[in-house]
Amino acid sequence: MNDIGQVLVLGLVSGGIYGLFALGIVLVYRGTGALNFAQGEIGTFGLYAAWYVDTRLGLPWIAGAVAAIGVAILLGLAFEAAIVRSMVEASRVTVAVATVGLLLFLLAVETRYFGGASPRPIEHPIKASGVELFGIVVSPTQILALVLAAAVGVGFTVLLRRTDFGLGVLAAAQDPVAVRLVGVRLRRVSAFVWGAGAAVSALGALFIAPTVGFVTPGYATVLFLSGLAAAVVGGLNSLPGAFAGGIVIGLVEATTGRVFVDSSLPDVRFLAVFLVILAVLLLRPQGLLRAIGTGAGAKA
Amino acid sequence: MRRVPLPLLLAPLAFLPALLSRAGLFGDDVWFNAGLAVCYAAAGLSLNMLMGYAGQISLGQFTLLGVGAFMSGWLTGADRLALPFMAAVPAAAAAGAAVALVIGVPALRLRGLYLAVVTIAFTYAAQLSVFKIDAISRGSAGVELPRPQIDDFIMTRNADYLVVLLLLLAMLWLFDRAVTGSKIGRAFQAVRADEAVAASFGVDVGRYKLLAFVLSGAFAGVAGAMYGHLIQFANSESFPFDRSLLLVVIVVIGGLGSRVGVLISAAFYALWPVYIVKAFGDGFRGTDLIVGAALLMFTVARHPGGLAEAWGEGAERRRARHVEVEDANGEGDTEPPMPKLPELPRPSGLPERPAATSGDWVLRATGVSVSFGGLQALRDASIEVRANRIVGLIGPNGAGKTTLFNAVSGLLRPDSGRVELLGEDITALPAHARARKGLGRTFQLIGLARDLSVTENLLLAQHVVAGYSVGSALTRVGSANSVERELRSRAAEAIAALGFEQYAHAPVKRLSHGQQRIVELGCALVTAPEVVLLDEPSAGMSPGAAENLAVRLRDIRDELRRTVLLIEHNIPLVLDVCDELYVLAGGELLARGEPLEVVRRPEVIEAYLGRGLEHEAATA
Repeated sequence: MNDIGQVLVLGLVSGGIYGLFALGIVLVYRGTGALNFAQGEIGTFGLYAAWYVDTRLGLPWIAGAVAAIGVAILLGLAFEAAIVRSMVEASRVTVAVATVGLLLFLLAVETRYFGGASPRPIEHPIKASGVELFGIVVSPTQILALVLAAAVGVGFTVLLRRTDFGLGVLAAAQDPVAVRLVGVRLRRVSAFVWGAGAAVSALGALFIAPTVGFVTPGYATVLFLSGLAAAVVGGLNSLPGAFAGGIVIGLVEATTGRVFVDSSLPDVRFLAVFLVILAVLLLRPQGLLRAIGTGAGAKA
Repeated sequence: MRRVPLPLLLAPLAFLPALLSRAGLFGDDVWFNAGLAVCYAAAGLSLNMLMGYAGQISLGQFTLLGVGAFMSGWLTGADRLALPFMAAVPAAAAAGAAVALVIGVPALRLRGLYLAVVTIAFTYAAQLSVFKIDAISRGSAGVELPRPQIDDFIMTRNADYLVVLLLLLAMLWLFDRAVTGSKIGRAFQAVRADEAVAASFGVDVGRYKLLAFVLSGAFAGVAGAMYGHLIQFANSESFPFDRSLLLVVIVVIGGLGSRVGVLISAAFYALWPVYIVKAFGDGFRGTDLIVGAALLMFTVARHPGGLAEAWGEGAERRRARHVEVEDANGEGDTEPPMPKLPELPRPSGLPERPAATSGDWVLRATGVSVSFGGLQALRDASIEVRANRIVGLIGPNGAGKTTLFNAVSGLLRPDSGRVELLGEDITALPAHARARKGLGRTFQLIGLARDLSVTENLLLAQHVVAGYSVGSALTRVGSANSVERELRSRAAEAIAALGFEQYAHAPVKRLSHGQQRIVELGCALVTAPEVVLLDEPSAGMSPGAAENLAVRLRDIRDELRRTVLLIEHNIPLVLDVCDELYVLAGGELLARGEPLEVVRRPEVIEAYLGRGLEHEAATA
């Protein structure tokens, strides 16, 4: 019983983070029809900014958080302005290839300038002691992360479904040329989508980093990958699905971690995530959870 | 095309390094770097097969190299099976292909970026989990991959091993050439250009995407064996994620689909890190990735096809200038008469079809309903087309005409209804299978692979009769060569009949709209389909050209003895050529009958012009 409880707790806690990444992925997907493969790494980059502000400049955690999110948003906006904007007519595949370039760029810059092998330490935002559940200590940071993920999910959903701006975002994914003719400010919509996706990644990375304790190049892309799996599980065009998918992936990872803890198969959770993606695509590509709204989902 | 392929011609040069090295030229480390460049070139070719030809993305290509390397290590290791290197290479290829098959099946049935998603998950699973399994890699201790050995002679000299590498690269190059010169390469390029057009030409899009990935996996497996035995070692860290990303950079910058571009780009990216650091010191370590990634982003933004495409476009623009000049003279009312459409005999590769006697229906759609979300595009639409007739389908915009075509040709699955062709129920058949059954079709927005030449499009259009296997295409053993010759002669015949010899190798996108329409019609007819669906063939044509089109349409019915179903907005054309007319409005069948009679019906006029104008229109 204790075991199951522990798995549940671990799964929920990490699931919140994965849900956050998944929300960013689905937002970009619904807003552009493409996937931003650099989205995770933008979060890592933001983390390095947070480290710099916290550790080198000695400022409080919140300053680091602002720096992280700010740098991430700037990166997202810069990429949108410099690259995406000149690719209005390009296919999703081409846009995705451009994001692959950004991913490699960030990884290479981080490795070169922040030293590959020496991880930078990250602190906890809330120094209070945590709650103990089933023998696991859940820190206030982790609880906050879960709450934040839910809040972001609700926020995005409300934005896309109930505001005119959100409608413009969805429409722009279908036909970027046509929306301009009906008065949607494509630039604003596009900037929002790429900036918000980046911000959400930085947020996710910020809240899991203290648990891990340090940041290295490629750090958040691993989280992004679980977020990607979560988005696939939930159906790439569903925001609530993304959040729920995050929990599912969190539970899957926690379960495999517990079941295979003694085996000779290292880090099974990555294998599990991969197999989950394969299974979902094979058996139920529209996602395990009902897709709400159509968005750009019909043709991935 | 050369009689002797270039790689075969250059193959003897592969032995040069061994000789030069023994002559004392260059140090062993220089030969090592050359070997590295060759391995990267092989890896680049593998990704080019997938990205350049078929237009899909893999973010795990270097991991597939790892699969090949570990397989090879397992077979050749001194403390394992200790098999010779040349036995390991095919096994590595098979391993790469098998893994690609497993990963590809779930992802490639779906459109879009799913393969990228699956391959990135695969890379992490392999790098962080599977490659760390003791049995495979011995963790960081790694496995040893010995150099090839002939009796007592071990190729410890890098220059000697380089000979093997060059020969293997030449072999991969030959296979690549075999692919591009066959129906497989054409199908890949069609899939990349436009999946719907590819399907209308009979290409099973899902199957070919998977084939592209499997072939690229096989190539990657070989490249992995090449690489692994070069460094003579492979452990869990040997195949990092950023190398897969670098391969994407190499292929895109080198030029998607250009073998030579990829080879040059790969060599550059293999050698630059080494020599830049040598020349400018350690401070430049890692800059190759930074610059490469930045270049990738900017190249993709400007030239999605990579630098080779940009180069090719420039060259083409110069070459094609004379073609455009011809067009300028040919436009307007002095449009030359549309050439006679080629009468080509039924190709031998097609299955037997029941003969259609005049008067029988050849195509029938019954009760077809299609809705998109909340919009009912078609409600219970039924159409019956009899043999040897030209049947017109008209109606105001948004009536559902193209939707009906899409349902009939298989691009769309209707919510309900039945489609039958030549007595056979084809409702469940996918688009490419219907093409095989004798259904041809053109598109509103010109259904051709625009980057391919006129000849290549005509070859692509014969995909359904290219009756040779993948194995035959790769090895050129069996029927591939003779069938290709047949396809090419039919294409040449068609081009001659159309009078398009000078445009034979021009990319279709360089032709004028009217010329593209002609090529498209030629493609629709080249495999002698029984029924042809033409979607607004006169769109964009001047009245004179439309009259010529009418003559040709009658030829299709009377001389080629086919059946035509036509969507049109050009009412005079419709009245001129059609034997029967259907009118669609608001998703429903409004009228059916003899053309002159149908167009005078008040409800038809009302559908087009609105209420109140029936009298004026009826007396017009």
